[in-house]
Amino acid sequence: MLTPEDSLPFLLGLAVLLPLVSFFVIFLFGKWLEQLGAHIATGAIAAAAMCSLTAAAIWMAQHAPPATHHAHPAESHAVISQSSVHLTALHDGEHDHDHADGLVHGEHDEHADDAHFVPPVYTGHWYSLGRFYGSEVAINYYIDALTIVMFCVVTFIATCIHFYAGGYMHEELHEVTDHEVTLADGTHLKRPGRYHRFFQYLSLFCFSMLGLVIAGNIAMTFVFWELVGACSYFLIGFYVERQSASTAANKAFIVNRVGDFGMLIGLMAIWASLATFNFGDVDRNGDGKLDPHEHGLFSLLRPAGENGLHELRVPDGMVLQGAKERVEEMIVAAQPGTTTADLESQILAQVSLWRDGKAKGDATHYGYWLLVIAGVGIFCGCVGKSAQFPLHVWLPDAMEGPTPVSALVHSATMVAAGVFLVARFYPVFAPEVLLVIACAGCITLLIGGSIAIVATDIKRVLAYSTVSQLGYMMLALGVGGWAAGVMHLVTHAFFKSLLFMCSGSVIHAVHTNEMTEMGGLRKKMPYTAYTMLVGCLAIAGVGVPSALGIPFGFSGYYSKDLMLEQAYLFRSANPLWGSIFFYAATGGAAVTAFYMFRMWYLTFAGEPRDEHRYKHAHESPRVMYVPLVVLAVMAVAIAWPIFGNYGLTNVIEQGRPIGLWSDMASLDGGYVWLHESKSHADEIRTPVGLMAFGAAMTGIFLASAMYLWRVLDPTDARRTFAPVYKFLVHKWWFDEAYDVLFVRPAKVIAACCVWIDKQCIDRLLHGLAWSVRQIARCGEAWVDQGAIDGAINWFAAKTYSTGAALRGMQTGSLRQYVMFIVVGALAMFVLMSFWSYGFAR
Amino acid sequence: MNFLTEPVGLSHFLAVGAFLFVTGVVCMATKRNTLGILMGVELVLNGANINFVAFASPYFREDNLGLEGNLLALFVIVLAAAEAAVALAIALNYYNNHSTIDVDKANELKG
Amino acid sequence: MTNFPLLLAAEINWHTVFFYLTSFIACGFALAMVVSSNVVRMAFFLVLSLAATSGLIFLTGAHFVGAMQLMIYVGGTVVLLIFGVMLTAQQAFISMKTKAGDWILALIVGGSLLALLTQIAFSVPAWRSSDYQARLQAEVTAAEEEIIAAMAADNRTELTAAEAAKLRPLLAKVKYGQPELTSQVGLGLVGVRVDKPELDSLGYSGYLLPFEIVSVHLLVVLVGAAYLARSKRSAVMQTPEGDAR
Repeated sequence: MLTPEDSLPFLLGLAVLLPLVSFFVIFLFGKWLEQLGAHIATGAIAAAAMCSLTAAAIWMAQHAPPATHHAHPAESHAVISQSSVHLTALHDGEHDHDHADGLVHGEHDEHADDAHFVPPVYTGHWYSLGRFYGSEVAINYYIDALTIVMFCVVTFIATCIHFYAGGYMHEELHEVTDHEVTLADGTHLKRPGRYHRFFQYLSLFCFSMLGLVIAGNIAMTFVFWELVGACSYFLIGFYVERQSASTAANKAFIVNRVGDFGMLIGLMAIWASLATFNFGDVDRNGDGKLDPHEHGLFSLLRPAGENGLHELRVPDGMVLQGAKERVEEMIVAAQPGTTTADLESQILAQVSLWRDGKAKGDATHYGYWLLVIAGVGIFCGCVGKSAQFPLHVWLPDAMEGPTPVSALVHSATMVAAGVFLVARFYPVFAPEVLLVIACAGCITLLIGGSIAIVATDIKRVLAYSTVSQLGYMMLALGVGGWAAGVMHLVTHAFFKSLLFMCSGSVIHAVHTNEMTEMGGLRKKMPYTAYTMLVGCLAIAGVGVPSALGIPFGFSGYYSKDLMLEQAYLFRSANPLWGSIFFYAATGGAAVTAFYMFRMWYLTFAGEPRDEHRYKHAHESPRVMYVPLVVLAVMAVAIAWPIFGNYGLTNVIEQGRPIGLWSDMASLDGGYVWLHESKSHADEIRTPVGLMAFGAAMTGIFLASAMYLWRVLDPTDARRTFAPVYKFLVHKWWFDEAYDVLFVRPAKVIAACCVWIDKQCIDRLLHGLAWSVRQIARCGEAWVDQGAIDGAINWFAAKTYSTGAALRGMQTGSLRQYVMFIVVGALAMFVLMSFWSYGFAR
Repeated sequence: MNFLTEPVGLSHFLAVGAFLFVTGVVCMATKRNTLGILMGVELVLNGANINFVAFASPYFREDNLGLEGNLLALFVIVLAAAEAAVALAIALNYYNNHSTIDVDKANELKG
Repeated sequence: MTNFPLLLAAEINWHTVFFYLTSFIACGFALAMVVSSNVVRMAFFLVLSLAATSGLIFLTGAHFVGAMQLMIYVGGTVVLLIFGVMLTAQQAFISMKTKAGDWILALIVGGSLLALLTQIAFSVPAWRSSDYQARLQAEVTAAEEEIIAAMAADNRTELTAAEAAKLRPLLAKVKYGQPELTSQVGLGLVGVRVDKPELDSLGYSGYLLPFEIVSVHLLVVLVGAAYLARSKRSAVMQTPEGDAR
């Protein structure tokens, strides 16, 4: 029983099913259960958490995690030669030498530094749904270190949130008067409480997230993926009578559909070319050997290869798809009398040549673009779920749900699903896809961070902070930092759920979201204030930089430093893009520290700004603040490396998928992704640690100067940067732009159809006469007034406006001239470096 | 803690020079007192001067600037003194004529 | 990195220690000057920062320049500035506040300039540390070993005159460093380069011409400053409150 092959699937399967059972129980008997419903749901998820932790213990007993890698000093300088990383082609049958028992692969724990390391994975089969031409749709599992870590994180945080929600949703036990909904007769809406329904959805949410994490094939992933989306729709729209809540739920659902469309394309591309849904290899007939159709997509896309490095290889199906015209030419050119079998073998012989662009007189890498499209498509789904640019607009609106839901959506479930999926599909992504991921992450982190600076709604600050932190994770994953991105996913889940629950506690106490009406609350609610301060310090990544001896700090410190180190490493190989990514990430760190401390100071420090609200504020009941304290302890200590090799970093490192233990390069060799262990070298850690520390301190210092010591006046700054402020307050005009670009055109097209339908003929006749008159009038207006007068007037007006515009530069202010000089010098340097990196190459 | 046992290099001096330079620039950009701006200029010149002497020092590079660097630093010091004298005269004149030394008030040439 | 015992065991490099000390004083007071809004305090901080800078210059071996920095800058220029402060120090002008927007803009621009410059300063690996001391030590050791070997061969205990002459400059270098001598600087200004004698034969005139230009420049500046700063006697006579000034 206690062998991991048997116990892990059992325990984790139990952890998945318990919330489902709770869902059905509350669904059927909820009305009669009343408060018992919450106890059932909480008990179920707590039991699931126990199962997950037991599974983690069993896992660790079986697989001692490897030590974190320190690159050899000489190696860390080296930018690898491009020839060593091109995609190699090999025949299918050669890579099953290490799959002896077909179920457990890779027990090479002690060889973790080795590039040939195969991570320990348990795959298996629960239930078969159907079989089509040899490929099977089934419910099966794929358990590796990432699965274990995600299970522990999701169940633990969800348990805390269930306890918290038991207190927070208390008023839903009785009949509720919703003060935000006014009926036609001017009274407020009265409705029965929906306490049990809330916990019913919460259980379903946990079930779908856990199912997504354990899913062993693409089809199952997609089903649970959509279930997560549906649950978030239910929960965001929990206060369905409020217009804003139902709109926000719709928005979240529709925006996610846009991303999922791309994801479907990606999944279909993979399925059509590999003919399997499974991630890992599953020995279905139990003969202890792997037949060709039993291979999972990871081992098909990354066969061991000649050098055993598991490099990415375009599968045969994609090559044939890409080289369709070549195949047709071969069929046409075939000698009469050639049998079909001969022709087939001829074509198959060509496949590896086409794949490597080595076919005679034809250097195209057939099928590679299809692989890129598959990767980008899957990433599209993650863009929607994880709220990346340009689909980040739904996440801030999702604040309309109750706060425990926000905490769950923003930390361990919905948005984590996207990042998790990128981490899961990482072996599938070609380097070009990684560049796309990094770009999206970079833009997202800047957008989220900049909007959070000006938001005054406490939950909105946190929401945009989540957007920004998700951008960080994607950026880290995109520049090759698999472990860094996953690490930040975990640490972020802890401190962001903590921050959200603290904000919920504040809102519970003062009945408003606006920070302008708070202030001085730390005396009234000390538990909330100081646990939230811990959260702020953790998200800002406060710690002692490694250059000063002992690297030590809050959990965010470890993950943020890992990500910045990886960005710095990426920069050493790709100066232009790497510089942009690295400086965006460092600047983003300063911005993060700034807005988090701005929020804390506005809420808890200083004098109360609204006496009435301050008088009625009170600390939350124990059932709410105890989870806060538990999560605060986790937010401090989760990433501490003091457990020897059993720290979080080492366990995550153990889950690194096959083939990521060596460097990668894009097809043209222009971009190089260096292996992550090189980023732990001292000559990268020292400057990056100092810069991250400096950035965080700058942000905290500036926030303190503006909101604690009041040395700098925020309203004054707002006036000085009025255009920027307006731009940020309107959230970069994304909602407006999407309204103009997508919503209105759709409405306009609809209106056009109506119009044509009703008045087509009339308008045609009238229109003919009218247009003749109009042409004559236009002739006069355009040629005479427009062209001749207009040209002269235009020239005069342009001259005048150019003069007027240039006039503005002469402000007469000595200090501004100094700024012009400095900005000019900086701009010149930036241009020069772009010139030398970008164009001269 | 090995940074106290290793010899400092040219970069450290350049970094200090850069810091003084930037402090001077920030001083020029944020002070409204004319004399404050003059002090910022002094800091900027000093930051540049550190670069000259550091490049001239035989302790850091084999092919140093040698005497040239020192002489240039001397010229910079002398010119800074001259500049301070003239600028101070201008500042006093401005104060006599406008009864203020706030540079933000000196925007008569505004376009 | 975590080698605290090393702190006790290893030999501390005093040049480095003094560099960090003086540079922290210089940077700290420069920062204090920026942050302070009182112009009198600013002048005081400037004096300290400039004095610490002269210490930095001494640490590079440019003793004459350091001395000049102390005398001309700290002794002359700043005293001039303090005079200016005293002449204009009325209550309204002693501390003038700047708008927060200007501060933030200046900090952002200044911060990015600083990041750029620091990055450039540390971008050349050879500049990050100096092997001067190690090289010098190796040179001295080699010379000593050679002499000891020679002494052992001749079976004597006294140094010969030639050996002593060879050893003396090296020991002086170890003890006093390699300062640019004041006489070298002075001769360079009047046209003789003793540090690079090979330049003399090429008709190179040292820094005689710039020196002359600077002296003329100084004269012009003095005249100009005196002209600018002189009070307008006629205007003062006519205004009644002129006497009050």
